[in-house]
Amino acid sequence: MAWTDEELVAKSVAGDADSFNQLILRWERPIYALAYRVIGRDEDARDVVQETFLRAFRALPGFKGQAKFSSWLYRIALNLCRDWIRRQKRTPVVAAPEGVDVIELAAEQGPVESIEDLVARNQLSASVAVAMQKLPEEQRTAIILKEYHGLTFQEIADLQGCPLSTVKTRLYQGLSVLRRDLESQGMTRARAAERAS
Amino acid sequence: MSETFTCDDKDQLVAFLYDELGEDARRRVAEHLRICAACADEVTGLTHVREELAAWAPPDADLGYTIVPTAGTADRAPQVLRPARWWLPSPVPTWARAAAAVLVIAAGLSLANLQVRYGAEGLVVTTGWMTPAPPPAPPVADATVAATDVPTAVSAPVADWRPALAALEASLREEIQAARSGADPVAVSAPLRENGLTLQRIAELIEQSERRQRQELALRLTQFGRDLEVQRRSDLVRINQGFGQFEGRAGAEIARQRQMLDYIMRVSAPPPPQ
Repeated sequence: MAWTDEELVAKSVAGDADSFNQLILRWERPIYALAYRVIGRDEDARDVVQETFLRAFRALPGFKGQAKFSSWLYRIALNLCRDWIRRQKRTPVVAAPEGVDVIELAAEQGPVESIEDLVARNQLSASVAVAMQKLPEEQRTAIILKEYHGLTFQEIADLQGCPLSTVKTRLYQGLSVLRRDLESQGMTRARAAERAS
Repeated sequence: MSETFTCDDKDQLVAFLYDELGEDARRRVAEHLRICAACADEVTGLTHVREELAAWAPPDADLGYTIVPTAGTADRAPQVLRPARWWLPSPVPTWARAAAAVLVIAAGLSLANLQVRYGAEGLVVTTGWMTPAPPPAPPVADATVAATDVPTAVSAPVADWRPALAALEASLREEIQAARSGADPVAVSAPLRENGLTLQRIAELIEQSERRQRQELALRLTQFGRDLEVQRRSDLVRINQGFGQFEGRAGAEIARQRQMLDYIMRVSAPPPPQ
């Protein structure tokens, strides 16, 4: 039987390091994905993951379970990302997802997806990454939390410390800017026509 | 909350997009979208954007962080977090790691073409793909020489290896006989099957390598074509800009000369009669 987050937290607080390692195993990938998408750099995202879990481990006795453990981790990670962006004093730019080897992907995909499709998908991924990095940090974070982590409006509002309506506005404005950006590159229209055909 | 949905209510539109509306509100937005083409177009466009966002995936990073207690400290603070090393206990079971190791060794041996023989010259171990040099031929007794000049010098080595060869032959015959008389056929065929599997694995590796090379070539060609197209467009834009600037400068020059000509005409014209 798999332990719940809360049970593992309780065991970790009691001094069981293995329980905390299970929590790390469960949440390191989502935290990495969040950090990577927010700050856009693989190495720095790894640092954020490490620092997030270190801080969580140290602060674990103070965690009283007011929020979900995952929300607590997201909050720590987002604060670290915000610090990173502030330190950099600029909006990070990602030209393309790092470490994604098209050839490796092609080998994994097998004969179903042609190399042209793969290249097109990689281009789309790069375009989305670049378009996302142009957004203001609050809009980008709201979209990331909604689209890739499936948080509710209320959970995002709690994490961002803003009213519910602000979250919706950020999402709407962010998506609208992305739409214009991607359409100007012929991305969404081409894909829509592709789907229609 | 109002009973009807209006076009400028973007909060509700976003909630509709993410399916976070109550039943009534959702029905009101859906009814509005049926009669308002602008809002319907907006929802369709934003839905497409959401679909495109799915293409953005982070790299498949090898993380594996673990909390490692620091020796000699009981406190929580000095713990360190580090990526798990491959020698630390991992979720991969031991049998799987052992199987992987056997596969690697087998592949290495097959690539090295390891051959182990036991013969008259003793235990022979060879590697590589070169044909081994034939063992030195045993001295052949020339009938005439053997019969007359040096019979003992030639016949002595023959006497050394012939009994050994005969003994080996007898031993092999016994083994073959034993195998035929009821030994497990699997035990005999196993090495053959292993060889077959190894060859099949090598063929698969070669095929994978060729496929990767083909894919890489296709990718390079695609990238080259794209770069070429970008360069071509960029050149066209520069040429157009150059033409535009030239036309602008020429137009300005013509206008200036026309003004000067008008001025000269005006000043050189005879004064009107008084």
